[in-house]
Amino acid sequence: MNALRRHRKLQAIWASDPGWKGWTSSVNHSDLGRMFLFTAFFFFLVGGVLAMLIRAQLATPDSAFVDAGAFAQFFTMHGTIMMFLFAIPAFEGLAIYLLPKMLGTRDLAFPRLTAYGYWCYAFGGALLLVAMLFGIAPNGGWFMYPPLTGPLYSPGINTDVWLIGITFVEISAICAAVEFTVSILKYRAPGMSLDKMPIFAWYALVTSLMILTGFPPLILGSVLLEVERAFGLPFFQADLGGDSLLWQHLFWLFGHPEVYIIFLPAAGVISTVIPVMARTTLLGYGWIVASIMALAFLSFGLWVHHMFTTGIPLMGLAFFSAASTLVAVPTGVQIFAWIGTLWKGRPELHMPMLHILGFFVTFVIGGLTGVMVAVVPFDWQAHDTAFITAHLHYVLFGGFVFPMLAGIYYWLPLVSGRKRLFRLGELAFALIFLGFHSTFLAMHWVGLLGQRRRIETYDAETGWGTINFISSVSSFVMAIGLALVLVDIIIHAFVAERSRRNPWQAGTLEWAGMSPPASYNFASLPEVSDRTPLYDTPDLANRLAMGDGYLGAPKAARRETLMVDAASGRPEALVIYPGNTRLPILMAAMTGGFFLSILLKLFWFTPLALAGVAALALVWVWQLGARADQGLQEAGRGAPLPLASEGDRSPGWWGSIFLLVANATFFGSLLFGYAFLWTVAPGWPPAQWFVPSWAELGFGTGAALTGAVAQHLSARRNRAGAALMTALVPALLATAATVVVFGLMLFRLPPPDGHAYAATLLVLGAYGLAHALLVMLMQGFLILQVRRGYTSPRRRAAFAVVALWTDYLAAITVLILLAVHLPGMIM
Amino acid sequence: MKELLRVLLPLLVWLASFSAIYGLHGLGCALGWTEVALPVTSLFRWVLFLAWTATIFFQLLLLLALRTQRFGTTSSFIRRLSITNSWTALIATFWTLYPIAVSSTCG
Repeated sequence: MNALRRHRKLQAIWASDPGWKGWTSSVNHSDLGRMFLFTAFFFFLVGGVLAMLIRAQLATPDSAFVDAGAFAQFFTMHGTIMMFLFAIPAFEGLAIYLLPKMLGTRDLAFPRLTAYGYWCYAFGGALLLVAMLFGIAPNGGWFMYPPLTGPLYSPGINTDVWLIGITFVEISAICAAVEFTVSILKYRAPGMSLDKMPIFAWYALVTSLMILTGFPPLILGSVLLEVERAFGLPFFQADLGGDSLLWQHLFWLFGHPEVYIIFLPAAGVISTVIPVMARTTLLGYGWIVASIMALAFLSFGLWVHHMFTTGIPLMGLAFFSAASTLVAVPTGVQIFAWIGTLWKGRPELHMPMLHILGFFVTFVIGGLTGVMVAVVPFDWQAHDTAFITAHLHYVLFGGFVFPMLAGIYYWLPLVSGRKRLFRLGELAFALIFLGFHSTFLAMHWVGLLGQRRRIETYDAETGWGTINFISSVSSFVMAIGLALVLVDIIIHAFVAERSRRNPWQAGTLEWAGMSPPASYNFASLPEVSDRTPLYDTPDLANRLAMGDGYLGAPKAARRETLMVDAASGRPEALVIYPGNTRLPILMAAMTGGFFLSILLKLFWFTPLALAGVAALALVWVWQLGARADQGLQEAGRGAPLPLASEGDRSPGWWGSIFLLVANATFFGSLLFGYAFLWTVAPGWPPAQWFVPSWAELGFGTGAALTGAVAQHLSARRNRAGAALMTALVPALLATAATVVVFGLMLFRLPPPDGHAYAATLLVLGAYGLAHALLVMLMQGFLILQVRRGYTSPRRRAAFAVVALWTDYLAAITVLILLAVHLPGMIM
Repeated sequence: MKELLRVLLPLLVWLASFSAIYGLHGLGCALGWTEVALPVTSLFRWVLFLAWTATIFFQLLLLLALRTQRFGTTSSFIRRLSITNSWTALIATFWTLYPIAVSSTCG
């Protein structure tokens, strides 16, 4: 088969449906990556317009441009859009587009999940935008502190829009994080061991793990605040055993890692682009990987430094101040590695390099003011002033926007297959750089003079007028620069001439395919023996096109790739992907229906939406099944491999592992909240304890453990080819008993709107009940699969997945029952 | 999975000890351990100090274990990474929990 025939055959298998209708059914990572990036930059535009409105209002003293209510919506939406609808999705889009190409594979681990994540993001973002158009946008600041955002002080729908809209969008982030983690660990080119991974993949891996552990506390906080607002459960009301500080803990448990979740992917872009621009290899690869990990972990020990002025114990201040200063070290390691790379190479000042230089100057200044505010006495003075606003913009714009612009100019020839036409980008950079620094240096200054954040106006006597005017004019200069970047990209996309392949002479695999990339990325998958395969094998692109790799012989209508051993990159299994489908958009719409029903208080629709999501999820999984064993498959290069679905460690198992990591973090945060309220909140102990029962405790624990054991037994019997119902049915019955125990517990609770104690128990019980019902659904599904012949000793993947969830149910059941019954027994 | 665990374990232990000792501090304050006098200093200071030293000791053990053939790995990259992370975790344990050794107030 020649290269052209192979291309046509693969294109027919992998291409999305033609026309605009193809957008709704595409599961291709290149399409979805572009859609993510386009949508994220659309939101960047909206957030930018809001920033201009904010600066217009603050340009002069006593301004009457907008009223205080509109101004509150503007600054809240500006922060919310930039954080949740631009920065994180832009990373997701970039990683979705690039990772499979960099890793030498054909798509991400779960293509339909990529599409589902995109539609959740698009619908959730649209919800927030529509609210803004109707004048009911969130207005409590992007971190939504109660009691301001509680039902007493924010009775309208604005806060609910934020809590529900952002939770909806966060589903997308969790989906992407699971997707990236599994893809990076298991979907790489053969031979690509961990030490040969492109550095961007390390950054994306660590960022994804941070999303999985950083986002759940905020999701929990949002759920608790929404439940408080909708049903009066007093988690944050001090007079009923709640504490508004709990929100701050949960928010910043997410919020501080979030800074690094935004910075790390951008640093990944820098670590990728700098060596290419400097015509050398990255200095200190291993040190950089270690410093990324250290940064990720240390960032989880800093959240309280956002709360230094809340009156927390002095001990806590010292504790978190020490951690805050320490985090500068791994950041410094990376900065020095980048400087060292530039030093040892021969840097060329192309367009991406300009933005990287912009990053260096801006981010280092932002880092230094970060060390200033990590010192408690200074923070007490600067807290809630414009100094902090300026600091965070230096970190986020310097640490994310400049590197993203560098990345855009670096990968644009790959995406479009064209080269730049005019020198508009250089002018744009100059305007952005000068505009940004004038805007935010001035803001540091006015902050030190005492201007508070979020004020809609100020008196002329304060003397802040001139500084604010300079800041506002400069911000418009920066906006013109960013608009010019947009014009430059549009010209590039439609007018510029064709570029040659790999114009930067880079060594990583994304440049080994066609430009613009084909839907299948690689005609055959490369065998990798080096971190920069294109330097090692300059004709690799041609060899892959001619089929000189794995999976070079396309089979009819099968989208195939390889799964490898996580550490060594040794080929392990063959993966067959599902084709184009509208299931993801339908499921996202149904998920949106669930969230809308809560927002609009149409509670009759909530269970219907949930049932719809469950039904679509069952169809989703059912489509993956097969009624006959496939056995070993030819993967090329004389390597027969089993199908990934015919083993214990299927993609679904790996996905479940990381989803459960996020789930366990959510549960851990809930237990933390329970302990926090108990030990710190006023109004404890409650007037009425839950009446404990040894019988319920024992029965519930026994049922959960029996369910887990029986589930494992069924997997073992399946492998042995023995009858399965004798284990599957008891497992299902045991889970049903767990449902009954949780139901009984919820029925016997003290009134949950009377005290935070009972409210917390209600959430614990509901969490347990939801999981028990979910596991019942899985077990019922598995029984149906067994009866219809979709399992065999070889086709056993579903058993391992259900066993994981049953184990998790057993663990949380025991913990919840202890948390609910023990206090009553002891007290 | 084992390789991933080797790389992440020292930092996970730091995170766990960080949370545990912060929680222990809250518990000690709530239960009035500052009022319980023991030789040299209060029960509160003793508990926190011992927790800090025990954590450092455990991190040291982990560092030594990761250097051995039994718990280490054959991949030189993973070995270097896990030992570097172990040093990071040891230093982070010393530095971030150090305030406990010198400050034991509940106010």
